[in-house]
Amino acid sequence: MKSVLIIEDEAAIRRVLTRVLERVGFTVRTAENGDDALQQLRAEEVDIVITDIIMPKMHGVDAIKRIVKEFSRVRIIAISGGGNFGITDYKPDAITTSAYLAAARKAGAHALLTKPFLTRDILQAISLATRDVRPH
Amino acid sequence: MARIDFSITRGIALVVIALHAIVLPVLYYGLSLVVSHSHSDLFIQHVRTLSRNIADELELGDSLESPQRLADVLDLAVLNGDGVYAELIDNGHSILSELSAKNVHWPGHQDYGFTTGGSEIYFIELPISRPGHTAELRLGFDESPTIEQIHLAMRHTIWALSAYLCVAVAVAVGAGYWMARPVVQLKQIARRIASGDYVQSLRLVTRFRELNELGSDLDNMRNELVGVNERLQAENKERAAAEGRHRHLEIRLRHRQRLETVGTLAGGIAHEFNNVLLPIVLATELAIADAADESAVRLDLEDVLASAYRAKDVVEKILTFSRDSGVPELEWIDLEPVIHEALRLFVALVPATVDLRTDIAGPCPPVKADAALAIQLIMNICTNAYQSLGGGQGVLTIGLATRPGSGPGPGPDVIGASSGDYVVLSIADTGHGMDAVTKERIFEPFFTTREVGGGTGLGLSVVHGIAESFGASIVVDSTPGLGTTFHIFFPAGSKSSVEERMLQTHEGANT
Repeated sequence: MKSVLIIEDEAAIRRVLTRVLERVGFTVRTAENGDDALQQLRAEEVDIVITDIIMPKMHGVDAIKRIVKEFSRVRIIAISGGGNFGITDYKPDAITTSAYLAAARKAGAHALLTKPFLTRDILQAISLATRDVRPH
Repeated sequence: MARIDFSITRGIALVVIALHAIVLPVLYYGLSLVVSHSHSDLFIQHVRTLSRNIADELELGDSLESPQRLADVLDLAVLNGDGVYAELIDNGHSILSELSAKNVHWPGHQDYGFTTGGSEIYFIELPISRPGHTAELRLGFDESPTIEQIHLAMRHTIWALSAYLCVAVAVAVGAGYWMARPVVQLKQIARRIASGDYVQSLRLVTRFRELNELGSDLDNMRNELVGVNERLQAENKERAAAEGRHRHLEIRLRHRQRLETVGTLAGGIAHEFNNVLLPIVLATELAIADAADESAVRLDLEDVLASAYRAKDVVEKILTFSRDSGVPELEWIDLEPVIHEALRLFVALVPATVDLRTDIAGPCPPVKADAALAIQLIMNICTNAYQSLGGGQGVLTIGLATRPGSGPGPGPDVIGASSGDYVVLSIADTGHGMDAVTKERIFEPFFTTREVGGGTGLGLSVVHGIAESFGASIVVDSTPGLGTTFHIFFPAGSKSSVEERMLQTHEGANT
């Protein structure tokens, strides 16, 4: 079964999302931030990364860029709940959710999802991201 | 030394009078000398000639021989001219004319001076040489008629000089007025200028070259001052207008900043909310999956999920206001079909008592927008308008028109307004209208005039967010009691944008 790494600073989201994905059969690990996630990936690679965008320390878009660079095989899903609210020291060019998601897409995310979402939405996003149709 | 202050007219008159006060007495004195001398000379010459003639008659004729003839000759001397006394002393014997004045007596010596000798009688004594006689002729002539004549002449002179003085003073006063007139004129114009009437010319029509030049110089000065004054006034006006614009802009800017702050805040709340809602939604779904079918727990959990979804809708509306909804892909669209679509949806929501009208002024240029959002914008404003109708009776008009960029637009105070043409979408109601304070705040999220539970207060803030995302400006006209009109100024598409749209359609057809 496929393995998933959830990068999310909110503990509640990490916990519930883990349970949701484990229930449908994924192997799930979690990381609080981008640095932690990169370390975990270096220790053991996963198939899918689900990452929040607005996080302290390392911004989700930066995390996506580095994961794409180091682990090209990993499929990435970016999730975001809203725009520029001073909860991060990251200063992006754009300040809207759409702009964040667009930045995530540009950085290499394979699927995008806005919070909140249903179980079927995240499963749909995973299947979209893991469709092996990305031409080079 | 005290400074004497008088008018030009009075000054000239005083100078003339002062001059005559010196000249006229001297003139009078001189004239009196000439008149009295000439009269007295004539008198003396006359009496001497007369006396000589009588003396000759006595010397050469034979009057001395006849007492009767002698008396006649002496009487003749008295009767002729001014004679008053005639006496002949012949050989010590006195013969006095009977016609001699009774009160006149020989003074004892000859009196050759006019008005001398103590009386007004001129006495003359002539020796008569005739053989056989030692005689002296003594004659007296009255000086007073001549003195009277002199006095009369002097009186005439005084009258003449007085008349002359009057004429001179009158002429002086007249000349004074004449000379003072341009100066007085200058004074009056200067006063009018001082009181703010700048159009008066200071150029004079006068024969005095200096005054002409002065008037001309002053007028040049006035023109210069008028120019300076006009410039200053224009500058003041411009400054006041600029200040007005500035103030207006500042108010708009503050308003806009407040909306942006609220938007950012709303966005922040939305973000937090979404992060809170996600575990609620997912955990509820997990719990539902675990709950037995038709169980009370499951029904409760489904309510939780539905509520969480309602919360998600609210958050989405907030995000629309804060321009954070992940939209919009704008394209050039015509607003007319959008209006009809929105009306079709809206007519189902309101009772038939609401008179829905459209006022579409011919074909309008396309605007950059998203059709679905534009429908939402119209629906939200219409909902607001309907609610303002109170009892649900009234007129609601949706208008569409093109306005040239040079005409009345959203105004220079509207930030980001384009300078080109506008397509103006207007939604007017005949509802209760609103006051300035309400108008100022209507676009703020959660601001509502309705009672608690009557609405979310998000409808117009969503309108604001959508309009902003279109690059459109909203202007609200409202009169309490009469109604409200929302004008949404869309920058009009140009010919090239129409072509672009056709190209897009064309490409769309190809793919």
